Amino acid sequence: MMSLATRLRPARGAAIAVLIYLAMYFVYAISEASATSVFAITNLLDNTIVLAVAAAGLTLVVLTGELDLSAIGVIAIANVVVATTSAGVLGWFGSLVAVMLIGAAVGLINGWLVVGLGLQSLAVTIGTMIACEGVALVILAAPGGEVSDTIANGLTGDIANVVPVAAVIIIGVLALWFVFARTRLGIAIYAVGSDENAAGLSGLNVRRTKLLAFVLAGVAYGCAGYLLSAQTGSGDPRASNTFLLFMYAAVAIGGTSLTGGRGGVFGSVVGAGILTVMQKMLFALGAASFYTNVFSGIIMLVALFVGNLSGLRLRRQRGAEWQSATPRP
Amino acid sequence: MRPPVLRVDDLAKRYGATVALENVSFGLNAGEVCGLLGENGAGKSTLVKALSGVVTPDHGEIHLKGDRFRPTSIVDANRLGVSTAFQELSLVPSLSVATNLALPDAPRNAIGLVSGRELRQRAEATLAQWGAADIRPSDIVDSLPLGVRQRVEIIRALARNPSVLLLDEPTSALSDREWLFGLIDRVLKEGVSILYITHKLDEIRRLCRRCIILRNGQKVLDQAVSEMSNDDIFRSMAGRSAVEQFIAAPSSARPQEAPALEASHLTGEGIEDISFALQPGEILGVAGLEGHGQGPLFRALVGLHPLHGGRIAVAGTARGLHSPRVARAAGVVLVPEERKTEGIFKDLSTIANISVPVIRRVSPLHFLNRQRERQLVEQVIPDVDLPEHFLPLPITDLSGGSQQKAVLARALVLGARCLLLFDPTRGVDVGAKQSIYRMMRAFVHEGGAILFYSTELDELVHLCDRCLVLYRNHVAGEVSGGTLSQELVLSLASGQAAQAQPIAAGSP
Amino acid sequence: MAKRDAPALSESKPAKLRARAAWANPELLPVAVVLACAALLIIATKILNPGSSLTQQLSAVLVTSIFLVIASFGQGLTILLGGIDLSIGVVAGLSAMMISVLTDGQNAALPWAVPATLAFCGAIGMINGLGIALFKVPPFIMTLASGITFFGVGLGFTSGLAQQPVAPALQALMSGYWLGVPIPIYLIVGFVIIAATFQNGTAEGRQLYAIGSSPQAALVFGLPISGLTILAYALSGLCAGICGLLLAGYSSAATLDIGDPLLLPTIAAVVIGGARVVGGKGIYVGTFAGAIFLSALETIITVLSLSQGLRNIIEGVIIVGALLLQSERWGALRRWSH
Repeated sequence: MMSLATRLRPARGAAIAVLIYLAMYFVYAISEASATSVFAITNLLDNTIVLAVAAAGLTLVVLTGELDLSAIGVIAIANVVVATTSAGVLGWFGSLVAVMLIGAAVGLINGWLVVGLGLQSLAVTIGTMIACEGVALVILAAPGGEVSDTIANGLTGDIANVVPVAAVIIIGVLALWFVFARTRLGIAIYAVGSDENAAGLSGLNVRRTKLLAFVLAGVAYGCAGYLLSAQTGSGDPRASNTFLLFMYAAVAIGGTSLTGGRGGVFGSVVGAGILTVMQKMLFALGAASFYTNVFSGIIMLVALFVGNLSGLRLRRQRGAEWQSATPRP
Repeated sequence: MRPPVLRVDDLAKRYGATVALENVSFGLNAGEVCGLLGENGAGKSTLVKALSGVVTPDHGEIHLKGDRFRPTSIVDANRLGVSTAFQELSLVPSLSVATNLALPDAPRNAIGLVSGRELRQRAEATLAQWGAADIRPSDIVDSLPLGVRQRVEIIRALARNPSVLLLDEPTSALSDREWLFGLIDRVLKEGVSILYITHKLDEIRRLCRRCIILRNGQKVLDQAVSEMSNDDIFRSMAGRSAVEQFIAAPSSARPQEAPALEASHLTGEGIEDISFALQPGEILGVAGLEGHGQGPLFRALVGLHPLHGGRIAVAGTARGLHSPRVARAAGVVLVPEERKTEGIFKDLSTIANISVPVIRRVSPLHFLNRQRERQLVEQVIPDVDLPEHFLPLPITDLSGGSQQKAVLARALVLGARCLLLFDPTRGVDVGAKQSIYRMMRAFVHEGGAILFYSTELDELVHLCDRCLVLYRNHVAGEVSGGTLSQELVLSLASGQAAQAQPIAAGSP
Repeated sequence: MAKRDAPALSESKPAKLRARAAWANPELLPVAVVLACAALLIIATKILNPGSSLTQQLSAVLVTSIFLVIASFGQGLTILLGGIDLSIGVVAGLSAMMISVLTDGQNAALPWAVPATLAFCGAIGMINGLGIALFKVPPFIMTLASGITFFGVGLGFTSGLAQQPVAPALQALMSGYWLGVPIPIYLIVGFVIIAATFQNGTAEGRQLYAIGSSPQAALVFGLPISGLTILAYALSGLCAGICGLLLAGYSSAATLDIGDPLLLPTIAAVVIGGARVVGGKGIYVGTFAGAIFLSALETIITVLSLSQGLRNIIEGVIIVGALLLQSERWGALRRWSH
């Protein structure tokens, strides 16, 4: 079973993330009585989804072995576009389409620069990120604008006062991922990140795979910006500035290897959840807000360290076949 | 006579100023195995890549079954009937065998998703069809030994039902060559044509009626194998006569001294109770088919592979060689198998490659002194026949053989007393091989000691004073002096002579 | 793949030619191009701003470049090793805050406050290096995590309060002149000489190249990988620390996030300077040129008084453009892909 076997390994990192999440939620729940109310859960999930969706997109690029810093630029553009158009010309649906197209366009540019011209993704996406932030500032120089009520109300809160909309979105993202991972493109993304040269010689289209990963990631960032607008109700070209580090933190905590080929969106979504529930937990415990930072950093290292240890164990198990331990170029 | 299945006319490819292929023309007939020989850098790989659609030739025509053949991609080449088992293996390490066999177009179910069950069933059928039912489709490729990966690579090429099959050094890691030879015979009967690239003459003689030799990107020989002597072949490849490959030399071993390197009952993953004593002045060979413990043994001796038990002594003193740094301080240096990743520093010049581990020694107050660096390096490069004018060149501009010489020079500069050479002549041209042999002789003559693993049995037989034969991770026997022969080594290495113990003759 | 087939030929014929040309470092050409672009920008600034002289423009650019010049040296070292340091901004901010708190507007405390601050910053770098070298944490994660963590620590100690007064001597250092030349320019010259000498003229520098180039070979041949990795990250922390001191002096009041805008430009400077992001290649003079270029760009954008949005767009496009200019060189190195 290829699908099972390839997914077992990322599952190790994700499993650790799930355990951390549950432990934190447990602490949060016993230290704050209202934590298990629908309202609190909705609030928690609302706070999670922007990061989760952005991190999900980032994961696709990271799996192919590239890096993408452009996310916060795209989120910023999406946010100001929604704030300036959703209550007016485009409406809620038009602005959703618009931000997805914008994200796809930025992803296409990133992908073209990286695979078409062979530029280094980290450096290129620093450039596109800065440029995108500039575009956002040109569209809306100062915080303001108005997000249509349909978006602001429709994407927050609960369906029939029971099911948080955010939960539906997260389940939708995960469902999309599980389907996607079983498509040819999904397999190709893992293959390319695992060994680009071998993937090419196996007949996979390495360039196309990477390009599509960047485009899909861009679409996800656009959606994250849309969700952010729903949360904040207004536009702020700088609102996404703090996201970058936490997106990578979410991906790393979720067990995705930053060198590609290993991990998955599920872990990243849980990673985003951890970063959010941690804030709630610390707040509930009465800890000062700066502990959030200290904890985020430490959790990243812990998650990674535990992931590394299990990786080492696996390597030792197959140590008998020494060739496999020989590093590949 | 029927026209050839594959016809190559005046093919040329250059990379920048470097000519990789020039004026190469030949034909490949249906049901024929044609050998392709050449030193590293002669253009074999470029030719394979041009035929498999990986690179586009600058000039020339290829015709396949009479039609113009211009593959735009490897998928295109496969579709048109040319498939390739690459030397560097093109399997994706993180995917299963089944997925790898199905790439690039994994079977999809009704809703467009890749079906794990179907992948597995197809893989099982394919593996069984090509005599590899022992390989589990669900295994992840990078958990498999190199030999198994190579089989999967070959099967994947075969399973695409090619009319022309390109096999690029398909036995480099294979433990059971007969399996491959059987498959080749089978597909030949079906009319498949095979271009067989190898370094191994016995395979050429066993499989091919005809053989093409490339040198410096040009075809220098295209002739029936039966009409060629080994010397002809060597001469054509090297462009000079490899008169006498091995010059017999008296052993310079010093049995009365304390062993330069002594291992007692080493155990670890892939190592089962291995003991030996390597005397100063001795070349101790290690023979074994791929994956019988030689890799872990060599790496363990410099601390790159964990040991669970046993003792290592250097010059009579027990040492825990738990890292290459410690081993190096004790005078034990490994020249590793993977030259490209573990041997050379690919961005440094040749001189810097040689001097880098000891650069502190020629850097007063930590500042580089290029003159002293050069003096240091010039002391050792004559020993490995590395021309002085190569020193300022980037190491990647050098041929494989010259790169290996630089790596050996580095080991000498390190002041090694005991060299662990893991297949140092793999992918090395004939001329450089001779230099390496000479360097080994000189090294032991000066009182150094060498532990020497080679995939080429005749090297072991001709160069070593004694030879340990590994089988299933332990020492199956020790062959020495007069009894050292390829046949004996092979029978031990394949486990046949295991009952015929004791074979081990006394120490020299 | 091309490379594998190439050698035998290139080795024989043009070997002598290559040897003769070897003294001229081929990496210097792109550096010259970057510096020339920076010079053009400075000249353009002067033309746009007729009231000023060219030397004024030049010294303005140099003075504001000092932060990047210093911080990107550390970044360059970590990138040379195939790593990256994402904690630079945070460390610079911590350094600025720490020196402000320790000196509290008095020069008297400087003699011990400066070493203490720098030691603290070097120690953060060393922690990064330890995690990367000994615990094998990927550099991206290690420095990201330590940055987030230490930002939290800084937040805890300062309660997020800012605007501490800084010792006047530090302010004087950044705004003073000596022989009619701003003191920071002397600092830059001194720093560039030291940094370039370290990277390309010492045994340690050479070994850093070796490790970044082929980490596996470095392991097999017993290079001091852990020690040099820790050294590189410690130096990066130290440089960020120096940068923080100067930032505090320059802005006369420190905030914890004062260093944040530095982080990405340090990476940009290294990359524009021609270094390979995956390690093993790049020279400090290139990084220096990249830093000057970015600073000149910032200056001309200010002179044009463009809106922040346009500024960002231009800066982003120029970073990508600089990469494109170099892409021919990289194109040759590009791995084969389908």
